[in-house]
Amino acid sequence: MSHPYQSRHARHARNRSQRGSHTRHLLFSLLVTALIALFSLTPLYWILLTSLKQPGSEFQKPVRYWPAEISWESYQTVLGPDFRMQDAIINSLIVSSCVTVGALFLAALSAYAIARLRFTYKFQSLLLIQAAGMVPPIVVIAPTFVLVRSLGLLSSLPGLILPNIIYNIPLSTWLITAYFAGLPFELEDAAKVDGYAPFSIFWRIMLPLAAPGLFSAGVLAFLGSWGEFMLAFTVSLGLPEAQTVPVAILSFSQAFELQWAWVAAGIVLSLLPVIVIVLIFQRHVVQGLTAGSVKY
Amino acid sequence: MRRLSRRLRLNEPQLAVLFLLPALFGLAVFLYYPIGRTLLFSLYDLERTTELSSERFVGLQNYAQVMRTAQFWRSFGYTLYFTLVSVTLEFGLGLGMALATFQVIPALRGLLRAIIIIPWAIPAIIQAAIWKWLFNSDVGLFADLLLRTGLVQEPPLFLGTPLPAMHSVILAYVWRGAAITSIFLMGGLALVPRHLHEAAMVDGARPWLRFRRITLPLMLPTIMVTLMFRTIDALRAFEIIYGLTGGGPGTTTEVLSSFAYRFYFSYAQFGQGSAYAIVTFALVMGLSWLYIRRLVPHLQLRGQSG
Repeated sequence: MSHPYQSRHARHARNRSQRGSHTRHLLFSLLVTALIALFSLTPLYWILLTSLKQPGSEFQKPVRYWPAEISWESYQTVLGPDFRMQDAIINSLIVSSCVTVGALFLAALSAYAIARLRFTYKFQSLLLIQAAGMVPPIVVIAPTFVLVRSLGLLSSLPGLILPNIIYNIPLSTWLITAYFAGLPFELEDAAKVDGYAPFSIFWRIMLPLAAPGLFSAGVLAFLGSWGEFMLAFTVSLGLPEAQTVPVAILSFSQAFELQWAWVAAGIVLSLLPVIVIVLIFQRHVVQGLTAGSVKY
Repeated sequence: MRRLSRRLRLNEPQLAVLFLLPALFGLAVFLYYPIGRTLLFSLYDLERTTELSSERFVGLQNYAQVMRTAQFWRSFGYTLYFTLVSVTLEFGLGLGMALATFQVIPALRGLLRAIIIIPWAIPAIIQAAIWKWLFNSDVGLFADLLLRTGLVQEPPLFLGTPLPAMHSVILAYVWRGAAITSIFLMGGLALVPRHLHEAAMVDGARPWLRFRRITLPLMLPTIMVTLMFRTIDALRAFEIIYGLTGGGPGTTTEVLSSFAYRFYFSYAQFGQGSAYAIVTFALVMGLSWLYIRRLVPHLQLRGQSG
């Protein structure tokens, strides 16, 4: 920064003004971060605040903006025998894990074909898969309900898992295709020379190389199926056996319109897994979402 | 599968078909077949049944009947209004937040990105429950703030009177939508080369001029894709309405999707419900097609043909 021909006086003045602009930049940064945090986090703070209130005191006035005394009673209630919030969380974990594995497997196969193999109608296949991703859920829900019923899977976890695997194929295929397309083509040529069979080239060589793409797609498939509501709500029939987190929260909030401390505790518990995942895998989430700027 | 492909000596096109088959079969069963079914449903008079029989076939009568009602046009209008207003607000907020992450000191960037992204991670129906409590007209945050600042004597029923309800739903939707819009736009901003800004700064260009002449033109493709994607998402929004107002008061906040759901599962009118769903489908797929046609050619694929 310092210039050999600058006088000492000028250098001092420059340092002083730089320090001033640094302070200003720091203050500006803190202010902007605080404003955005206010926008993004206030609703969550409000729910956390409510969940820590003594049940029954939710409607007391004046409204407090910080906890006067902390009560864990609502958490005990929603985890207790009458609510069993943990069952819904376990259901959701099972559904989302199975969906992630299933969707990644099917999507990796089709993405490999589209990105790396020569065949006609490649472009059309990709369009067919991507167009399916845009279909509004309401357009398929009634026939899907009938279909799941005829398979005897109503109010069961497989009844949720199978359609949700398929719902996640378009986005996963897109992300993995984009990743495969970026790998050098010499890899397969070399593997062919070494005598690898076509499936081994996919399974042993290409798939491990695409691990970062698979990972981003996996995180998004997990979060997507975690929050899926319309199918989960319709197929679960309101019975606890196949209730996932979103369905459980909706039925809580409808059944206990005056016990908001309970509902809020349920919401906080249900959000913990997703918030932890998003914070840990922030980079993958952002990469996945901005890869070719596609989709949620 | 490996042994199979070796024994059959599959060539590349055959292997591609084998690899694509499971995904395409799944899509056919759980997406393409149900779409066709809904299209058929919409041509039949189906009250309390989904059995298609020839005497129930009514042609386009469901559409005609639905379009004669004021309710349909109101929900159609609200769907468009909801989409227009929320996409505009999301874009403004999202762009502001995305620009901010590039302006703050590097030490705060990761934190800021994490803060921005969190609302997106919250499932839409749970978000609806959260906002329902925020909008409580007795002890909710907004009611209390309005009272404390003395702006009103009596807080409005945010979700219980038509006009406030229509806008409360939009506000709640925008909270989550701005997050994802911002993430998309950050991707676009990251593509703007720094040296262009530095060169312009040397030439003495003020920030607004630099934004308009450098950032905006270079980001235009990202902006287009983001706007299209958010419009598609807003047109098919369902959870936020179903969870926050249930379409009420009356049917004032009912969008096409939520109305179709009401026809299906409250009235058991599968024919008319399907007509609503198909109208939604037509709206969304027209735009989706443009969107996908724009995106797909961006991928550089080997041996692309056809």
